[in-house]
Amino acid sequence: MTTSTETLLPDTAVGARRWISRHGWTFGVWLLFFILIFLYSLQIPRFGAFQVTSIVNNGSPWVYLAVGEAIIVIAGGIDLGVGGLLVLTNATAARLMEGQPFEVTIVIALGLLLAAALLNGFVGWIIHVSKVPDIVITLGSLYFYQGLALWVLPTRGGGTSEGFRWLFTGSTSGIGSNPWAAIVGISVIVLIAAWWMANTRTGLSLYAMGSNKNAAFLSGIRAGRIKILSYMVGGAFAALAGLVTTAIANSGNANAVGGNLTLNAVAAIVLGGVALTGGKGSLIAVVPAGLILFFLNPVLSAWGVDPAGAQVIQGVLIVVVMAVGGILEWRRSRR
Amino acid sequence: MSTDLSPAPIPASEDEETTAAKVGRYLATHPHLVLGAVLIVLILITGAVEPNYLSVGGLRNSALFAVPIGIMAAGQTMLMLTGGIDLSIAMIATGAAYVAADQSPNSSVIAILAALAVGFLAGAANGVGVGVFKVNPLIMTLAMSVILLGLFTSWAQTIFFGSTTMSDFIRTLGGGSIFGGRLPWAVVIWAAVAVVVIYILRRTGFGRNLYAIGDNAVATRLSGTRSWQVLIAVYILAGICGAIAGILLGGRVGAVDLQLAQSFLLPSVAAAVIGGTSIFGGVGTYTGTILGALILGVLQSLLTFINAGTAVQQMIYGLIIIGLSWLYSRITALQ
Repeated sequence: MTTSTETLLPDTAVGARRWISRHGWTFGVWLLFFILIFLYSLQIPRFGAFQVTSIVNNGSPWVYLAVGEAIIVIAGGIDLGVGGLLVLTNATAARLMEGQPFEVTIVIALGLLLAAALLNGFVGWIIHVSKVPDIVITLGSLYFYQGLALWVLPTRGGGTSEGFRWLFTGSTSGIGSNPWAAIVGISVIVLIAAWWMANTRTGLSLYAMGSNKNAAFLSGIRAGRIKILSYMVGGAFAALAGLVTTAIANSGNANAVGGNLTLNAVAAIVLGGVALTGGKGSLIAVVPAGLILFFLNPVLSAWGVDPAGAQVIQGVLIVVVMAVGGILEWRRSRR
Repeated sequence: MSTDLSPAPIPASEDEETTAAKVGRYLATHPHLVLGAVLIVLILITGAVEPNYLSVGGLRNSALFAVPIGIMAAGQTMLMLTGGIDLSIAMIATGAAYVAADQSPNSSVIAILAALAVGFLAGAANGVGVGVFKVNPLIMTLAMSVILLGLFTSWAQTIFFGSTTMSDFIRTLGGGSIFGGRLPWAVVIWAAVAVVVIYILRRTGFGRNLYAIGDNAVATRLSGTRSWQVLIAVYILAGICGAIAGILLGGRVGAVDLQLAQSFLLPSVAAAVIGGTSIFGGVGTYTGTILGALILGVLQSLLTFINAGTAVQQMIYGLIIIGLSWLYSRITALQ
């Protein structure tokens, strides 16, 4: 019935409607992000490169962690362990990189990315073989990663090279007014990942798996491989977030609560329009969502809201966004 | 499930069935026996490590540790049966303990009622979000946890600046014992909660509705159940379970702070999961959850006795969750 009315409309109207239904959420989240930035710039006396740098630098671990979680969730899983993996990578990197020259820190970083991918791929393998729900196994892996991190680095400490700090923060001291390192880093990495998800056979298999596991299997997708792959890529992103944290803080902290980091990432992907049931969502929309969740606190404190009040507002915002999203979905399904 | 397309093995006739297969089938229909065996083995191992443990005092410590986990896990079990979860339950417990401490100078009865009211209100808000506005339970309760933390952080300095210690009566409930120090009051209260929860799940229409919603939400709604009312009711029950756990925990510790119950959140999920409750809903019993909570309690004693640091404790904890849930799914798959 809807097709007959749509054919009567001019092509541009159909195209516009389709664009809105496909990319509306992505557009909305980016719009919300820029509105928040704009409001923030009106509120504080000086708004310039320094503030932008602070937001994108400190927000980038949130973004990478959320993108990693998004890939796993799109493929039909959910990984509570990503926060723990961030903490583990942060602790290990800080311990190994302390006092090393730039070249060595890069090698260590690549090694850790690979190790995290393999470790989390192993978690994906356990989920595939045991057929225990993802959330249960990764609850276990969260504890395991967090414990391993504490074992690697019992007390806060360690360090990294100046070049490594520059690579992710745009300055050798970690403080500065050069946002481009973080912006370019996020753009390049996320665009490659988003392109891979949307245009390659393997990437599309992730969507297929999350959308309908049995249909994907019957159409020739190897379920186990795809599950393991999604956990490997997600793990690598979590490790990247951990490396960026090391670069920003110039130290490792195994006492950071990985579970809270995971829950932030889950909140970010939900705000970014990724369905927790799998098979739906765009990595491009997760980027501003991660930044918004990080950035809400400084915005609200610029408005004179105390941190506790900011927390309340953040929680209410997540619920309202989800409720509105649910109502929109319900209306669309009735049409 | 999807990989298992090989032809089913030809069923052996009655007399050909080996003893091992019979035992396997019996265990598959009575998985709690396996959990009970795991619990006894763990107790014996702990006894081998520390002979003094096999006494009333030793077992009492494990039981006391298991009480808050077990009571919160009662809420988690009921919610998981409907396909939900409560990530705010630890924060509800903390908030309830805070209110109880604040009201303690007035009267213990008022303090306990006020604490239960906190659980009721927070649970009702969760229930409205999940049942009426269809917000994903993971996100709704996560946001509730953030909101409550924010509210109590700011109220701690404004409204609840009074007492932060519990009244003597609540202290007795949390840490005191009857029968000459043998049976803790907290265990008695846990037993009462257990009787009520098991009765609800096995003997009431409400309990059946919980299983029905988790098994097939659409069919349940179409068969005339007002699912949203059931959901609001069960989230309120979970909130009250959280409040009871908070009162007992606060009573045992004696004083309250905002981190009081936070470390019990993931163990409460783990206890239900180890006990065989499916996180997707429709399958599970509170008896299994009780065994899960006791296993975690004994494990805590064991880890204390072998003098494992936090790092090793967390790693073992993670491995136990993965191992037991894997074992459980293997056993029940034999059915």
